[in-house]
Amino acid sequence: MTDRIARTVETAVPERSRASALAQTLLRSEWPWMLYLAFVILLVVFSFASPWFLSIDNFLNIGRQTTLVSIVAIGMTFVIIAGQIDLSVASALALSGMAAALAMAHIANFWFVGALAGLGTGALVGLINGALTTRLAIPSFLVTLGTLSAARGLAMMVTDTKPVIITNERYFRIFGEGNLLGLPAPIAWTLAATIGGVLLLHYNIFGRRIYAAGGNPTAALYSGIQIKRVTTWAFVLTGALAGLAALVLSARSHAARPDVVQGMELDVIASVILGGCSLFGGRGFILGTLLGSLIIGTLNNGLVLLGVSSPMQLIIKGAIIVAAVAFTKR
Amino acid sequence: MTKSFGGVRALRGVSLEVWPGEVHALLGENGAGKSTLIKILSGVHSFDGGAIEIDGVPVAFNSPAESREAGIAVVYQDLSLVGSLSVGANLMLNREPTSRFGFLKKRQLMAEAEDFLKRHNIPLDPRAKVGSLPFAYRQMTEICKALMGRVRVLILDEPTSALTSDEEQILFDAVETVLRQNVGVIYVTHRLNEVFRISHRVTVLRDGANVGTFNTSETDMKTLVAAIVGPKHATAEAKEVLEGEALHERQPSARSDGHGLLILTSVVNDRLRGVDLSLRNGEIHGLAGLIGSGRTEILETVFGLRPIDRGEIRLDGSSLRIRGPAEAIEKGIALVPEDRQVQGLVLDHSIERNFSLPRLPHFSWASWVRRGAETEETEAAINRLSIKAPGPSTRVRNLSGGNQQKVVFAKWNNKRTRILLLDEPTVGVDVGAREEIYGLVRQAAQSGAGVLVASSDLSELILLCDRISVIVDGRVIVTLRRDEFRDAEHLHQFIQISQTDQGQAA
Repeated sequence: MTDRIARTVETAVPERSRASALAQTLLRSEWPWMLYLAFVILLVVFSFASPWFLSIDNFLNIGRQTTLVSIVAIGMTFVIIAGQIDLSVASALALSGMAAALAMAHIANFWFVGALAGLGTGALVGLINGALTTRLAIPSFLVTLGTLSAARGLAMMVTDTKPVIITNERYFRIFGEGNLLGLPAPIAWTLAATIGGVLLLHYNIFGRRIYAAGGNPTAALYSGIQIKRVTTWAFVLTGALAGLAALVLSARSHAARPDVVQGMELDVIASVILGGCSLFGGRGFILGTLLGSLIIGTLNNGLVLLGVSSPMQLIIKGAIIVAAVAFTKR
Repeated sequence: MTKSFGGVRALRGVSLEVWPGEVHALLGENGAGKSTLIKILSGVHSFDGGAIEIDGVPVAFNSPAESREAGIAVVYQDLSLVGSLSVGANLMLNREPTSRFGFLKKRQLMAEAEDFLKRHNIPLDPRAKVGSLPFAYRQMTEICKALMGRVRVLILDEPTSALTSDEEQILFDAVETVLRQNVGVIYVTHRLNEVFRISHRVTVLRDGANVGTFNTSETDMKTLVAAIVGPKHATAEAKEVLEGEALHERQPSARSDGHGLLILTSVVNDRLRGVDLSLRNGEIHGLAGLIGSGRTEILETVFGLRPIDRGEIRLDGSSLRIRGPAEAIEKGIALVPEDRQVQGLVLDHSIERNFSLPRLPHFSWASWVRRGAETEETEAAINRLSIKAPGPSTRVRNLSGGNQQKVVFAKWNNKRTRILLLDEPTVGVDVGAREEIYGLVRQAAQSGAGVLVASSDLSELILLCDRISVIVDGRVIVTLRRDEFRDAEHLHQFIQISQTDQGQAA
């Protein structure tokens, strides 16, 4: 009796499991192929819907528009894989921009003075985030909620909310308007951040430690990983990349303003999660993040070209982000 | 009461019949289908063919809630308690007495919980917060929770894996109480001696199929082991025994030429109250004691997880001052922790990544990971430790308990390890893998490392150790040489006697 049942079951199993295995690969793979599919579908839909969409100029446009989010999201990937979150990136970006502009205006009008001031300020905000999170054992959500407010306040206070004009041509060329290696500077910097991120996360022991710290902090501790140090470095990296984004932004607009990119942290986090990172840590990859930010950028661009009203744009964007995460998340 | 099973994916036609008022032990190696069977009974998985009957009535359920409704209660290995609530609140979870307006009647809840605990003779305080209880008591709470309400079949999944002998007895008494209510108990375990202590009949599973059902009184340990392991392992088993015997001859020499590798002198911290202990090169040194006695804490202190207030630890004659596991590992100290899933492994990551984690600098050049070397060494370790896995990139989550534990061992199975600290090294590990792990431990000692083993399983300590230190209340009460401890019974008495002495002294 049992024999007969067993036989029928054995024949019934393979078909079902093959289909489910395929679905499993598509829906819940470590590398979310659905994400690539979603990106391609998005491109095809917009190409048919708008005559202006499919052109090199427009793609460069998308690249430029997503630069800020992409660069910061690379850093955020490290923080999220380490099992943390950084809400202060937009404020850190604004503060770093102010620091860069003020340094060039008051210390010395050289491009590298501005660059150092910008990157350093971002890294410092990251260091504060990391130190408070790990040394005082406050959840990073709360710490960075605090620095989100404080850094923005500081950025506004230094000039009493007035913008600071930048006059250094060299600075504009390097970070904003020139060409590096044949690419527009903002895109070149995005690429550089991506390559650096890939190397650091996927080929360096720092990346391994980040994964372990987020994947299982206790097991990482028992394996001799110094979680506090590693986590702090992830925040510093994110801060420094917010600084880099600030350089790009201020070079593009020839000025630093304290009220820029408010709410950008949400786009950044959405990109990272869309790109396949687990909010619980331990899982994710850099190229996914880049693709995530490109999807959001393409969405913004395409919806504008289609003439969708801006309230409607927000609604559509929100719905697509949630749907995409639902499909790609495991 | 009858239950029968047809084919399920991981099960190929398993039948199991449990009578009211009997303890029916379920045995089998990891992966034999015990867990799957239990998950089906508890409604977590569905089954493809066959039938389940309770009291002759066919039942079907699609969720754990429906299974519970039908009278099947399960106590899982991993606990399902709310740590921030009291014992009473956990017991009454989802059946809280409420007033007409839906408000919680707290006093009545506690009274009901207390009454229940008293009736079953269970030494738990219903007001104690579950999160602050030692593991054994949390498990007891879990069992009580399963017993609340109408129960026809109680399933215990390795209930004693973390219990000490005393607590085991309490558990067995509780099971007796349940039996008198004509409940059938399915008892899943890896410990054969428990089968003979408590069960009436035994069913052995292998590769998803029945091997046989035996009346406990008519069978013996040998028969059961043979049934569990199956014919293909028989030769390996024999070899293992031979190696074991050869080892016993080796031990005297190892003991005589070993000198002090690790010496603890009146070490005091939050949990230890003056520990004196010495570990020699090539020695396997056991730590016996009840749960909460300080066994685990000694290992954690040596590994740098607990700071020392007073006293001294010497390694190779020089004073050891470490501030964390990183520095301990640097000195060649390794810990295989008690809970491999929480402390030992990153479950979502591959074998390879877990393997290289404690030695990342070794697997890198100027901080860049040498992936070739990493994969190569992982493959070698998989072969050396005979870890059953498709390859180095297999996720650890997908391995069975025994193989997971071998991965934890693999992390430390190298020449740099000079002191190997083991905390309950074979909990939840099947018979075959257990022997292999013992082999690894002996190998480590043979190559000159000192091994410190803490275990609740006294026969395990007797089998492995050159010396055993009995820990009571944060102190080493006595250290016995191999010729001074005879059997588990004898050692157990030692622990009990020292325990009462301590009680009188205090």
